Amino acid sequence: MFSLNKLLVCLSFLVAITFSSIALAEDISHFGIGKTATPEEIAGWDIDVRPDGKGLPKGQGSISVGEELYEAKCASCHGSFGEGVGRWPPLAGGEDSLREDRPEKTVGSYWPYASTLWDYINRAMPFPAPQSLKPDEVYAITAYVLYLNDLVEDDFVLTQDNLASIKMPNEDNFYIDDRPDTNNTRCMKKCKDPSKIVVIQSLSGITPDQEKEESTTEQNNSLSETAIAGKAIYTSSCLVCHGSGVAGAPTLTDKESWAKRLEQGMDTVVKHAIGGFLGEKGMMPPKGGNMSLTDEDVKNAVHYMVEAE
Amino acid sequence: MSNSKKPESSKAYLAGLANQVPSSSRRDFLKKGIKFSTGLAATAATSAAISDNLPPNIPSWSKTLGSGVVSTPYGIPSKFEKNVIRRTVPWLTADKISSISMSPIQELKGIITPNGLVFERYHAGAPIVNPEEHRLMIHGLVDNPLIFTMDDLMRFPSESVINFLECPANGGMEWRGPQMEALQFTHGMISCCEWTGVRLSTLLAEVGVQTKGKWILAEGADGAAMSRSIPMDKALDDALIVYAQNGEMLRPEQGYPVRLFNPGWEGNTSVKWLRRLEIGDKPWHHREETSKYTDLMPDGRSRRFSYEQEANSVITSPCPENPWGQKGAYEIEGLAWSGRGKIKHVDVSIDGGVTWRPARLKGLVLSKALTRFSLPFKWSGAPLLLQSRAIDETGYVQPTLNQLRDIRGTNSIYHKNSIHTWQLQSNGKIKNVQLK
Repeated sequence: MFSLNKLLVCLSFLVAITFSSIALAEDISHFGIGKTATPEEIAGWDIDVRPDGKGLPKGQGSISVGEELYEAKCASCHGSFGEGVGRWPPLAGGEDSLREDRPEKTVGSYWPYASTLWDYINRAMPFPAPQSLKPDEVYAITAYVLYLNDLVEDDFVLTQDNLASIKMPNEDNFYIDDRPDTNNTRCMKKCKDPSKIVVIQSLSGITPDQEKEESTTEQNNSLSETAIAGKAIYTSSCLVCHGSGVAGAPTLTDKESWAKRLEQGMDTVVKHAIGGFLGEKGMMPPKGGNMSLTDEDVKNAVHYMVEAE
Repeated sequence: MSNSKKPESSKAYLAGLANQVPSSSRRDFLKKGIKFSTGLAATAATSAAISDNLPPNIPSWSKTLGSGVVSTPYGIPSKFEKNVIRRTVPWLTADKISSISMSPIQELKGIITPNGLVFERYHAGAPIVNPEEHRLMIHGLVDNPLIFTMDDLMRFPSESVINFLECPANGGMEWRGPQMEALQFTHGMISCCEWTGVRLSTLLAEVGVQTKGKWILAEGADGAAMSRSIPMDKALDDALIVYAQNGEMLRPEQGYPVRLFNPGWEGNTSVKWLRRLEIGDKPWHHREETSKYTDLMPDGRSRRFSYEQEANSVITSPCPENPWGQKGAYEIEGLAWSGRGKIKHVDVSIDGGVTWRPARLKGLVLSKALTRFSLPFKWSGAPLLLQSRAIDETGYVQPTLNQLRDIRGTNSIYHKNSIHTWQLQSNGKIKNVQLK
C-alpha cells in the first residue's frame, strides 16, 4: 500500500511536469494579449491611400477652391506657382530634367502616383498643422497641385472616383531595387597604377565648426510670463516660417522688422497673427495656418517672438 | 542663384564646386587648423603651469572629497567631454524640424552608441508621446485586428539584438566631390545599439495574417504620420517592435515609446512612434518611398524599395578630428558594417588603393552591427592616402567611388557606400579627399 502510494505520488508529479510543459508550448503560438480593434477605431486611424484608390474617402475638390486653399495654406513655403520658397520643396516644374546634371524632382516631373499626393497632404500637410484638412480640402489642394503641373485642365474636379485614373508622367520610370550593382574584387597588390592617382581636395568653408559650442540652453530670465507660455507654441507652430524667415516672416533676431510692426501697437500685431494679414513683404496666414491654436496661444507666441533674443 | 531654392540642388551645386576649390580657401583652412592646434598647445601649457596636478605633485582631486551618490540622479558625461555631441549641417535642410543630425563617431569607442548620441532624423520633429495613451493597432488582411497598449507589448517574450541604424543619405553630400571636412559629417548618420522588443512575427501570429497579406504599412504617430511599405518577408524574418535601446526605454528622439526596427535596412523604414501596422496585398507607394528614398539613376529611371544598407567602412582614427602628431606608432582604427550580415574582412591601404593589407577585426563581430577593425602602424611622417575596404559574409566587396559613380551617376543621393579616402599630410593633419 505504502509503495503504491509512493508510486501514485511519483506518477502525479510526472503528470504535473508533463502538463506544465505542454501548457508552455501552447502559449507560444497564441498569447491572447491585446484587445480587438473595433471598426470605428480602425476607421479613425486608417488614413492611408493606395495608387488604386483604396482608402480614399468620399469627396471632391475643384481647381478654384484648391487655388484659394493653396494660397492660404501652402504658398508661403511652396510658392504661388509651386516653385518653392527658400529651401522648401518645389512642387511643380522640372519636366524632362531627370537625366540632366541638375535634376528637378517635383510632383509633375518625378512622383509616380497622384494618390501619393492626396495621401501626403492628408497625413502631413500643412507642415505646421498636420491632419487638420477635411477630405474635400485635400481633394481641392491635390487638384490644384496637379493643375500647377499642367496635368489637369482648369475646370477639373477631383473625386474619389477619378483620382486613380490620373496617369503621372514618370510612373513607368521606377523599378525594384536591383543591387548589388557593383562587382569590386578583393585585390591586395598592384591594384592600380599609382602614377594615375589624382587627388581631389575637399571644398572649404562649408563644414560646420565643431569647436563652436551648440547653444542648447536658452535663458528665460528676461521673458514675461506671456512670452514663456508662448515658447512651446512658437516651437511647434511658428518656428517653421519665423525660424527661417520664409514668406517675409520676421525671424526672432530681426528686431528691426518687429519694431516696425510694433509701431501699430501690440494689439494690432496680435490681431493680424490671429486673423491673418497680407503685407508688402509677405503674408501671415490666420494663426499661421494652425487653426487648432486658441487666440490666447497665438497671443502668447507673438509675445515670445517679440521678446526673445 | 536659382539652385539655392532646393536642398538637393544647392547641395549638388556646392558639391559641384569641389572640383574647382580656390587654393586660397584651402590655405584658409590650413591656417585655421594650425591656429586651432596652437591654441590647444597653449591651453595645455597654461593649465599645466597653474594646476600643480602633475607628478610629482598630488592632484587637487586626490586631496578633497567628491560629490555623493545621486548628486546626478541620471548620470551625464564628464564636463571635459562636452564636445562629444550630435551635430547637424544647417544648410542641408530648410529647418531643424524636418532634418537630421550626426553621431560623433570620431569620438566613440567600441560598437555601442550611447543613447544621447544616436543620430536623429525627423520628418516633422520628435513628438512627446504619453505611453499610457499610446496604442499600436494592427489591422487589414488579418483574422483578428488588435490594439495593444505598451503594457500589452511588454508582456510578450522580448528579444535583444545589437544592430546598426543608418540613414541611407549617410555620405550623400559627397557624390560629386568631397566637401565635408570632418568624419562626423561624412559618415555620422549611423549609430549602433542594443535594441529590445518583441518580434513582429509574434504579433502577426497573434492577429492571424491572411494568405493574401504580402505587405505591411508601418505608420508613426508623429506629425508626419511617417509611413513606409514593408514586405511581409522582412516582417517574418527579423523585424522587431522595439521599446528599449541600450537597456532603457527608447529616447523620444528614437521613437518613444515604441518603434519598428528593420535590421540592416535604411533607417527610415524603422518607423518611430509606431502607431499602426496595416496588412495589405500591395505596397502603398507613399511619399517617403516615391518622392524621397528612391535612387535616381543616370538614365532618368529610379530604383524603388532600395531597403538594404550595403557593406561600408571608414577609418575613424586618424580622421580630420583625430589627427596624428609626431611620427611613431599608431593604431589605424575604424568601423565597418553591412546590412546583409557579418563583416568578414576589412583591408586597409595607405597608398590610395594600390596595395592592401588585412586589418584585424576586434571585439564583437555581429551580423548587421558596427564592427571595429584595427591595424597597428608605424608612421614615418610621410604623407599617406588612407583607405579601408569592407567585405561582408555574402562576399560583397565595398566598391570604389568610381565604380559606384560609373553605375549610379551623381544624383542618386542615397546609398553611397564607397571606399573613403583620408589624406594624411606630413604634419599629421587629415583631409577629406577623393581619388580619380
